[in-house]
Amino acid sequence: MANFVPDLPQPVDYAIPAFILLIVIEMIWAKRRAPEAYEPKDTLTSLLFGVGSTVASTLVAGMVFAAGLWCYQFRIVTIPFEWWAWIACFVLDDFLYYVFHRSAHRVRWFWASHVNHHSSQHYNLSTALRQTWTGFLALSFAFRLPLMLIGFHPAMVAFVGGVNLIYQFWIHTEAIKRFPRWFEYLMNTPSHHRVHHATNPRYLDSNYAGVFIIWDRMLGTFIPERDDDPVRYGIVKQLGTFSLFWGVFHEWIGIARDVVKAPLRWKLHYLFAPPGWSHDGSRETSDMIRARWEADD
Amino acid sequence: MTLAEAIQIIASLIAVLLLAGLARWLGLGGDVRIRDDAHAIQLADEAVSGFRPVAIARDKAGIGALLRDASGRQMLLVRNGAHFVGRLLDVNIVARLDQQFLTIGTGEPLLAPVTLNLGPEAQYWASGLRHLPHG
Repeated sequence: MANFVPDLPQPVDYAIPAFILLIVIEMIWAKRRAPEAYEPKDTLTSLLFGVGSTVASTLVAGMVFAAGLWCYQFRIVTIPFEWWAWIACFVLDDFLYYVFHRSAHRVRWFWASHVNHHSSQHYNLSTALRQTWTGFLALSFAFRLPLMLIGFHPAMVAFVGGVNLIYQFWIHTEAIKRFPRWFEYLMNTPSHHRVHHATNPRYLDSNYAGVFIIWDRMLGTFIPERDDDPVRYGIVKQLGTFSLFWGVFHEWIGIARDVVKAPLRWKLHYLFAPPGWSHDGSRETSDMIRARWEADD
Repeated sequence: MTLAEAIQIIASLIAVLLLAGLARWLGLGGDVRIRDDAHAIQLADEAVSGFRPVAIARDKAGIGALLRDASGRQMLLVRNGAHFVGRLLDVNIVARLDQQFLTIGTGEPLLAPVTLNLGPEAQYWASGLRHLPHG
């Protein structure tokens, strides 16, 4: 069955002026309330991550869309561009984002790309734009392909994916404490996402949601923010540098070094085991850190 | 890449520089120092969960510290922007003592060596660095 395909804009392009304005507002807030919430070098690095990510996405956009179209020819049904389809596509895309995001924290190959978003010790709106350059290499796009196999057109999927990304921008802030309980129950909020960016053992590997926090509540990965355990941001082994190159590639370089050095039988583990895994037990995964912390506590 | 995309990227780069400049102009980030031993203990636990120091040597200006736990592990705390990072030290470090100043490099190429003013304790801590584990 033929499907009318409207000419859809890229929502993120239209949101960029709002991103810039909100960052300026948050900086003014930081000046008055929390000067350490921003650090100029960190801000520069995070924003350059964003620009580089846009360039990288532009370079591979054609291939990603082609992969979507290729899957679309095997669709189960043809879903029209109707209002209910937009809602269904947005909700399903958000669930697949949850799956992608959880994998990005549990599989080192995917983490090597996603770690870029977590490697700042700050948590502000510029951190939201700290996006990967190597998402294509990490096959991030593959997590959305099931939508095309169901029957959602790649153009619709690309559009709702852009809206999802815009939603996730504003939750990267310490300026908003908490929303009313019903909103915190349903939606991903600054409070929930602060926990996701935490290095505190209590909070590690939690709150993977994009828009709807209910996925975490349903699948057992939700952890609420606690006032008695203030969130510390970044990664378990902080980078200690604002180098853009090292920020982008450090985990890929780490994988390469480990694979070269590892005994043959363990090489693949360094690609696909959880971040922090080592064959000789010399490092710790987040599960091990949390278990040790719980034993100590 | 189209001309419109190229213009968008150039405009984005200009916006990035303006925003980073604004952060600097507003004086954001501040001048973060290690205030006291309790602060150093907190930072060490943040760097390596469960690290409980039994001995601490703080830089006189608060820009870093050396800490040792009961099992003999030694940690270096160094300032990175408005935060601190911690590293457990191993034989890969490079250390140099100059009277009360102890310079330590962790061996990581992008983590610059730091010179700590440890006062009279510098010599004691420098000798302790001779007994580090293999990395």
